[in-house]
Amino acid sequence: MQARTQTLWQRILGIDRRWLYLILFVNIVTFLVAPIRMPASVSPPVQKFHDEIEKLQPGDLVMISSNWSASTLAENQPQLEAVITHLMRKQARFTIISIEAQSRDISYRLAERVTKEKGYQYGEQWAHFGFVPNLTVAIKGMVTDLPGTIKQDVRGTEVSKLPVVQGVKSLSDYKMIIDVTPSGTVPIWISYSPKNVSILYCPTSVMAAEAYTYLDSGQIKGMITGAKGAQEYEQLLTVVGLGTRFMNAISFSHVLIIVFILLGNFAMFMNRLQQRREG
Amino acid sequence: MHMLTNLMAQQTIWQLPEGSRVLLATLIVLGAFVLILGLVPVLQTLPPRGRRAIIVTVTFLAGLFFAAEFFLPVDWTAIFPKDDPKRNFLTPAIQPAQNVLQIIGALALGLGTFGLVRLHLRNAVQRRAQWGYSIVLLVSFVVMATLSILNTLAEKEIVERGPVLKRAFSILFDYTLVQLDAAMFSLIAFYIFSAAYRAFRIRSIEASILMFTAMLVMIGVVPLGAFISYTLLGLPEGASPEGANFLTQLEHSIGLPKIADWVLTQLNAPAQRAIEFGVGIGGLAMAIRLWLSLERGVT
Amino acid sequence: MDWLLEFLPRNLDRLSVWIGVLCTLAIYSLLYRENPVYRFFEHMYIGLAAGYSLGPLGVDILYRYWIEPIWIQGYWAWAFVVPYGMYLYFIFSERYGWISRIVIGTLIGASAGLFFQEFSSRYLPQLNSTLQKPLWVSDANPDMTYGMMINNILFVVILLSVLTYFTFSYEQRGPVKRVAIWGRWFLMIGLGAIFGNTVMARMALLIGRIYYLLNDWLMIRVGGG
Repeated sequence: MQARTQTLWQRILGIDRRWLYLILFVNIVTFLVAPIRMPASVSPPVQKFHDEIEKLQPGDLVMISSNWSASTLAENQPQLEAVITHLMRKQARFTIISIEAQSRDISYRLAERVTKEKGYQYGEQWAHFGFVPNLTVAIKGMVTDLPGTIKQDVRGTEVSKLPVVQGVKSLSDYKMIIDVTPSGTVPIWISYSPKNVSILYCPTSVMAAEAYTYLDSGQIKGMITGAKGAQEYEQLLTVVGLGTRFMNAISFSHVLIIVFILLGNFAMFMNRLQQRREG
Repeated sequence: MHMLTNLMAQQTIWQLPEGSRVLLATLIVLGAFVLILGLVPVLQTLPPRGRRAIIVTVTFLAGLFFAAEFFLPVDWTAIFPKDDPKRNFLTPAIQPAQNVLQIIGALALGLGTFGLVRLHLRNAVQRRAQWGYSIVLLVSFVVMATLSILNTLAEKEIVERGPVLKRAFSILFDYTLVQLDAAMFSLIAFYIFSAAYRAFRIRSIEASILMFTAMLVMIGVVPLGAFISYTLLGLPEGASPEGANFLTQLEHSIGLPKIADWVLTQLNAPAQRAIEFGVGIGGLAMAIRLWLSLERGVT
Repeated sequence: MDWLLEFLPRNLDRLSVWIGVLCTLAIYSLLYRENPVYRFFEHMYIGLAAGYSLGPLGVDILYRYWIEPIWIQGYWAWAFVVPYGMYLYFIFSERYGWISRIVIGTLIGASAGLFFQEFSSRYLPQLNSTLQKPLWVSDANPDMTYGMMINNILFVVILLSVLTYFTFSYEQRGPVKRVAIWGRWFLMIGLGAIFGNTVMARMALLIGRIYYLLNDWLMIRVGGG
């Protein structure tokens, strides 16, 4: 029995997925290597983020909650690098805390590298408070008694002896909390942190859509969304980081997906039309 | 509770003398293990109602502490004159409660690791299907656990960080674990592309709305959207000047980035807020049910 | 020739990069088909991830909150916490498994008790923000424009229609059903935004990996952006 020959539309619909993977891979390589740089249109949440940090005075204390692991490296790493760069420009002091085990080492090593380049001293101008598995009770504890809750930094130094948090008794003594995270931790910061401390949010793009309601109510003062937000923020800081380097490829990968979604729908439509004509 | 926290502050009762501290501490810890784990046969003799009563009581007390701390008014200086007027008498106990919950949280996280190792150890010992991979997992686990613990101790200067430890940890963490983790999650991009091509079909109004919004957001938020609107189409960027006529205001508003931002803040945000309200009310109801152990299957 | 000499793993730093690339390509081999190399690296990844977590858990938490307070500072009362927490591990026993629920009850009770504060701090301000949105231009809001008024009305209409869609306590009929259908359409907008952002997130992760292959391994200057 002869096999029915496939029509063009059926072949398009049934294309082996490995060809799709290859097309995506080639698209990304092409636009990563291509020497095109399109400037971003800075979105209002990123502008607000930047403006909030610009309000900081030298010596103001900021808490960075870094909860991302290597799985979201490409989105959260440019965000954290840009945030630390901006904080150093404003000569703000900052401490980092992680609720994810891997994030402890990743954020510590990243902060060590970035601060070393700009001459920031560990213990004097920044510190890392290590890993806590339960963020909710950690925030409650820090609001009551920060040195007693954290006890030691990653290097084993008692928090009460760290110059960067000298005289700090509670989270209320901080000016700002910046949450760099791939998971839904910002509602926990919103719920339990003191109301006088403003909150800024650096989510991966997946979590961003849900956070617009917090932006609208003013519970978060600004937001950088994933790598594209990092690019806009880098543009405001006039630095070229990973966000800027990735955006070209991101833009054209979106074009590729849209083209293929439309192609898939068009092929489905044409296939149905053909079947109706034949049948 | 106030007297209890005051009592706890009196170090003579709660702190071991310095001279024989390590020995006494070791004995007390061993005693605590014997006592607590020795309770297990006693607890086992309890009838089902008794067991449930213990679980319900512990759940209720744990929730009562935090709920009461939140609801009780501050400023108890009328009864406890030396207290801080900005907090109630339960607030000082938050910090030790925090410490307890962090320890239990850490042990709970270790539960997953314990289960994983137990499963693969069994696979390897009983030579079940693909037991070779279980050996790979167990060897990786032991090596990384050793290096991770030593590295963390070295960071706190409890052990010395030699060049071998530094290099070995760096290779296993920075160049193996981080790369594997990132590569695993990056596979999803290929699958999303393939799934979007094969399965994303416009068959209803809802699917059309979803697709159109997704495409608008995908192009509008990236620099390509700005390039198309402001460079190719020549639309003006930025806010319209004050007192501008309707047409000028419209020109300044129809760029793809502006439309995408409007969709996200004016159309997406209220939908997300409605979901938040639903989740919040449901969460409150569930919290009360769990606190009072009304939920079947939990206790 | 210089490029080739730099490319080859001639020192430990360069060898480390090659190890990272080997791991990445081994995982990507799954895209062609399931194979033993992928399985090997997958199991290695799980073992490394599980093993790594013991450092922060054991040292950052147990040492900081349990070992140091007892053995170094001498506060003996903390001795009972870890044995109590070990009750969790009875979950693996069929006979004694119920004992783990005592500790689980502690965690659940604490989370439930904390939720009241979360409800008041997280959801009530959003309700407040919604109720405070002015719905017409008046002297009370001199900065308000007609554009803002339309946006606010749209915001409230979408919110109410999506909330109507989620009301399942009674059968939706007539005008309520029409409003619920509108709510479902508005919900699709939110889901479309989430889908668009999800695609962007996943593409960024893949681009990060390919950047590593091109920039760190092949040393090709990646200048686009």
